[in-house]
This record gives sequence, structure tokens and C-alpha cells, in this order.
Amino acid sequence: MTVRSDRDHGQRYRPRMSCLKKVEATVVQMQDPSTGVKGANQKLNVTTIPHAITGQDIVAWITKNMNMDNDEAQAFGTMLVAFGYIYPLQDHKKLVLRPDGSLYRFQTPYFWPVQKWKAEDTDYAIYLAKRNIRKKGVLDAYEQEEYNKLHKWMNHKWDFIVMQAKEQYHAGKARQKADRVVFDCKERAYWIVHRPPPQTHSAMDYGLDRHIDPNAEEKKTYDYYRRINIYTQQAIMRSRVKSSVSLGALVKYMTTFKNHDPFLVPCLPSNPWQTDDDSYWELNKPDVEIPTKMRVERWSFSFYELLNDPRGRADFKIFLKKEFSGENLAFWEAAEELKWGTAASMSEKVEHIFKTFLAPGAPRWINIDGRTMGLTVKGLEHPHRYVLDAAQTHIFMLMKKDTFYRYLKSPVYKEIQKKAISPAPHDFSEAQLQQNMRNRRPSINPIITWQKEQEEKAKAAAAAGPVDIKKLMASKLDRK
Amino acid sequence: MSRWRQSVVEIQTRKRQVNECERAQAALSKVTACFQQMATSLGSNMDGSFLREELEETRTVAHKICSGLHRRLLSLLIEMEQGQEDKEQVERLWVMILSSLENFQRDLKKVKVLQEIFPLTQRKDRQALINAGYAGGTSEVAARAAMVQTPWLSVEETASPDLKNHIVEIDVLLEEMFQRVNVPLWSVEPTQEAWVEGVSTQDGGQEEDESLEDIMEVEVVSQNSTSGCCNHHNCKVGCLLCLLS
Repeated sequence: MTVRSDRDHGQRYRPRMSCLKKVEATVVQMQDPSTGVKGANQKLNVTTIPHAITGQDIVAWITKNMNMDNDEAQAFGTMLVAFGYIYPLQDHKKLVLRPDGSLYRFQTPYFWPVQKWKAEDTDYAIYLAKRNIRKKGVLDAYEQEEYNKLHKWMNHKWDFIVMQAKEQYHAGKARQKADRVVFDCKERAYWIVHRPPPQTHSAMDYGLDRHIDPNAEEKKTYDYYRRINIYTQQAIMRSRVKSSVSLGALVKYMTTFKNHDPFLVPCLPSNPWQTDDDSYWELNKPDVEIPTKMRVERWSFSFYELLNDPRGRADFKIFLKKEFSGENLAFWEAAEELKWGTAASMSEKVEHIFKTFLAPGAPRWINIDGRTMGLTVKGLEHPHRYVLDAAQTHIFMLMKKDTFYRYLKSPVYKEIQKKAISPAPHDFSEAQLQQNMRNRRPSINPIITWQKEQEEKAKAAAAAGPVDIKKLMASKLDRK
Repeated sequence: MSRWRQSVVEIQTRKRQVNECERAQAALSKVTACFQQMATSLGSNMDGSFLREELEETRTVAHKICSGLHRRLLSLLIEMEQGQEDKEQVERLWVMILSSLENFQRDLKKVKVLQEIFPLTQRKDRQALINAGYAGGTSEVAARAAMVQTPWLSVEETASPDLKNHIVEIDVLLEEMFQRVNVPLWSVEPTQEAWVEGVSTQDGGQEEDESLEDIMEVEVVSQNSTSGCCNHHNCKVGCLLCLLS
């Protein structure tokens, strides 16, 4: 029993099904006895199949009457079959239109898909029970599963379902045999469309139900016009960029990156998804010693690329250490950690950052302008995730405009460019590809990778911390 | 009044009423099933004023049974006390009649829409009827429905409404039933087990039906055995929206 309520805020309008009305009009035209598709009673072996039409006739009619070419007509015909307006007599499970002599028949309007009403589960249960009555064991595996599910879920209605199934079965028996066959075919076709067998695509898939009927014309009331007005005003207020400018940026991006796109240019040594050989991933690991040439080239494109690549960032760090200006990057990294870290650790992180970078006389004091410094320090009183955003952006810009270009001209970068390897492209034969496929192995457990990362971080933190002079001298004295 | 105090007459009356309701329910099932069979011919080449008349008659019969059954069952349920023996039976009937009414109402709505889409007022409307392959009419089905008799002896004169009002009337009936009777629907246990219904057909019927299944399987004209949906040689997908074609 369906639960009904007066104030039903349910979403029950199906979107994207408004094409059904138009399809219906076409089907009515199609079956017109004078101008429609020519059908006849086909003779097959001993039996006569009443009023069937062939696939090629359908395609020919669509091509002529709707002025399409053959491929489009076939696609349109397949749509008709998929929606259930025409059903195949041979191979009833596959809802495709074959443009040959295979036979189809029109579905009776009772079984047409209608936008307003979905095919109900109660009806499906009755149908399955009917088939079970007709011949035991004829249900497919997925139908049996559905039967069991429905039996469990509609248990309280089961008496009704069985009784109705029996009565419908007997009512069907009262008809002539040929009509019985036709009716059973139609019912079966209907349920193939609305309860498709698994791993088939259903044309009835439409996503979520909507709250408002998409077919109904919206009344142009005062509210409607008010809404349209607000929408248009907001659209005008949005900031605009000239299309020449944005297109120019797009073109620039594409020319820079086009050699790095694995879809356009085959990646070296070989695309692991295609050849099952993962040397590409091994060579491009975040902690690899010697990066590939393509990777190093990417670092020169923009500062953002450099920072995002862990290997690039490490290289940049080495450069900064030589220049004794590592505090900028350290601050930037600390701010990132604050942004992405847990809420619980935020206050202690903020403390640490203030002591290390922002306090006057701090060991790694960063050089930002007075206004930003004032804002940040004030914000630190009530710290939140993005409290260091202004300072972080400033530092980023500093590094980008100044340090980055020095890095690109530095011996560090030039050296790594020389050292970078350019792997030779693989050339696998079919047999080797098969072998690769068989030798696929899972990669390192991500937990282990994460643990390694944590260890590295700890080591780096210890190394970057302020050097304890006393301990250093003590160790030196000891040696003496 | 506890059951010890109910007189024999009262118990017998109640039993009779419950049996009446059960038979009415069976009759209603029969009529709605016939109605559905006939409704499937609507809009097809077998459609005609004859079919529509038959549909109307069947609907009238169904309406008679419905209203009588509804009234009787309602009174049974209202005067039911705790711990009655036939409580389960009556509740089961209750669920069945609710489901039947809903089912019937769905069919009625479909019939209404179909009759609007395929009006038969003019001669040229007949061209719009879909040639669905039916050869014979549904007169046997209609006869079957007409044979159903209301099981109560008294003749009640209730005016039978037209299609639109009938749908609305069922809505009202259902509302009323929900409001006046407080029965949790999911607590009703059915008497039928799963999968059992296939066992009880007679042998003759079974044979005929097996050949029915065979007739339905039209011999597949052997085409090139593409397991995919289109003729592309790489298409292993059995789906409709293959992008390879």
C-alpha cells in the first residue's frame, strides 16, 4: 500500500522524458495503414506471425519521412525500440533496431511509457508471479532475485499479488491463442524496457526525480518576473574578461603544455595504462633521485608547477639553502600545513609559526610589508585556518618574482637539467605486452609511503631547526 | 463483549459476513483482471465502440462490488474487538481490498488517458489506431467478467459514476478507509508462500503453456554474430550508447 499524504513534497516528475510525447506522434504516423511502415503477416515455418514489420522497412520509412540519412535513421529507430514503442520479436532482450530482415511489432498503447507514471513494483510482482504460474522455472536469474526481493518487501500484499496473478492468467486464457501469444510478447517487452536485465543500458534511466513538472509551462506571475529580474541583474554585475584575453591565455597554456600531455604526445618511456609497464611511474616518483627531463622542463614553466612537484620543491629548497634564504619557503610550507591540517593542532601550529617567523627578532623572520604584518599578527589572536592567507600570498609573490628567476639561472638548476634522464621509448611486441599484463603487481602499500614521508619530514624538521651552539661546541670539545 | 458472551447467532453472522467479503474480494480480483485484459486492447486495431462499451460494463460491475465490499468490510473492522479469532483474516482482507482498489485505480487512470489520446468520434480517428497484431476481440474476457456475481443477496441501487468521477471516488474511498481504520498494514502475514503458486496448475494447462513459450520465441534469423550493439569490430559493449559507431 502506498503511503499517501496531503502535503507531499515528493519529487515525482521525471525529467528528460518529455520526448516521449513527440515520439508517440511519430509512432502513430508510422503505423498508419496507408502512409506508414508496410507490415504484413509473416510466415515463418509453420506459424504465421501476425502483423510484423522488418527492421529495414522501418529504417527506410524513417529516412524518407523524416529526411535523415541512414545512420541517423538507424539511431532513431533504436531509440524507438529502447523506449518500448516497437519491440523485437527475435532476440527480445536486446533492444536494438537491426536494419535487416529481423521482425518487429508495434507495442499496444496500454504498454507505452508515459512520463507521468512509473512502472510500479506491484505490477512487476504480479507479472513475475504470472510467469511463474504459467511455467515453473522459467524466470531468469535476475528475475528470480527480483521476485525474492519483492516478496520480502511486499510481504503484506503477497496474497493480493498471487490472487491477481492467477486471475489475470485465467483472464488471458479466455482469449484466442494467437492473441494470447501476442499479448504475452507485449507484456514481456514492456517489462524488459522498464526492468532491464542486468548489465544492459536502459533508455528509461533519467537521474533524479524533479519537484516540478518539466513539461508544465510556468505561469508568468509577479514572482516569476521578480526572479528573472534578480537573475539578470546579478548576471550583469559579474566581472568580465574580454574573450581575446581569455582565449590568449588558453592558447598560451596549450602551447606551453602540449608536449606534456599524454593524450597528445606519447609519454616516455611508455604509457603504463597501455603497456602495463610501470617504469613511467617509477621514474616519476616524488622522492626519486634523478628526475626525468620532461619533469625538469615543467618546473621552468611556472613557479606554481615547481612548488607543486615534490621533487621540484626539494630542489628549490637546496637552492635556497645555498642562498641562505630558506625562511620564505619554510613559512609558505608552514602556512599550507595550517590550511590543510587538523583543527585540533591549529592553535599550537599558529604559536610555533609566530615564534619562528613573525615575532620581531624571530630566528627565521620573514620580510613582509608592515601592513600585512600588522593584519596577520592581529588575526593571530583569534586564529583560524586562513589567518595566514595574506602573508602567504605575499611571500608567494616575492618568491615568484624574485627567487624563482634566480633559481632558473642558478647552477643548481642547470646541474639538475644536465643530470636529468630522458628514457628511451619502449617498443613492446604483442607477446611482451601479454607478459606485462600477466606480471602486473600491486605497488607499495600507501601506509608505508606515508610513514616514509613522515620520517623524512621529521628529519628535515630536526635538520632545519636552529642549531644548538652549545651542543655543537660540546661535541667539538669532546672530540678534542 | 468478550467472545464468551457472544451468542452463537452473532458468531455465525459474523462468519457469514467475512465469507461474503472474501468471495467479494475474489470477484473483484476477477473483474479487475478482465478489465486489465480489455484495457490492453485500447488504442490498438481492435479498439472500437464495442470494446469501450464492454469496458464500461465491466467497470460498472467492479464499482458495484467495490462499494458493497467497502461498506461491509468497514463495518466489520469497526466492530472488531481485540482478540477476535478472525482478526487476522479480516485484516488480510483489508490489505487486499486496499491493494485491489489502488491497482484498479491505476488501470482506470490509464484507460482514461488512452481514451483521450485515441478518441473514436470521427471516422478518420480509426487510422490512428496502432496495428498491434491482435486478431480477435476480447468478448470472451468481457463475458467472463459479466459472469461474476455480487455475492450478497440484497440488491443495492447505487448509481454508477462515469470514469473521471470513479477515479475521484476511489480516492475518497481510500482516504476514508485510512482514516477510519487503524490497522498497520505491514503487520499482516500472507497465507501464500513465495514460489508456491506455480505448482498448482493442472497438467493439461501446463503443457499448453510450454508450447506457448516456444511460440513466443520466434526463430532467430542467424545474423553475423556480433556480441556488441553495433557492427564495429571492437565493440564488446552490449549497451545502447556505444560511442564507437
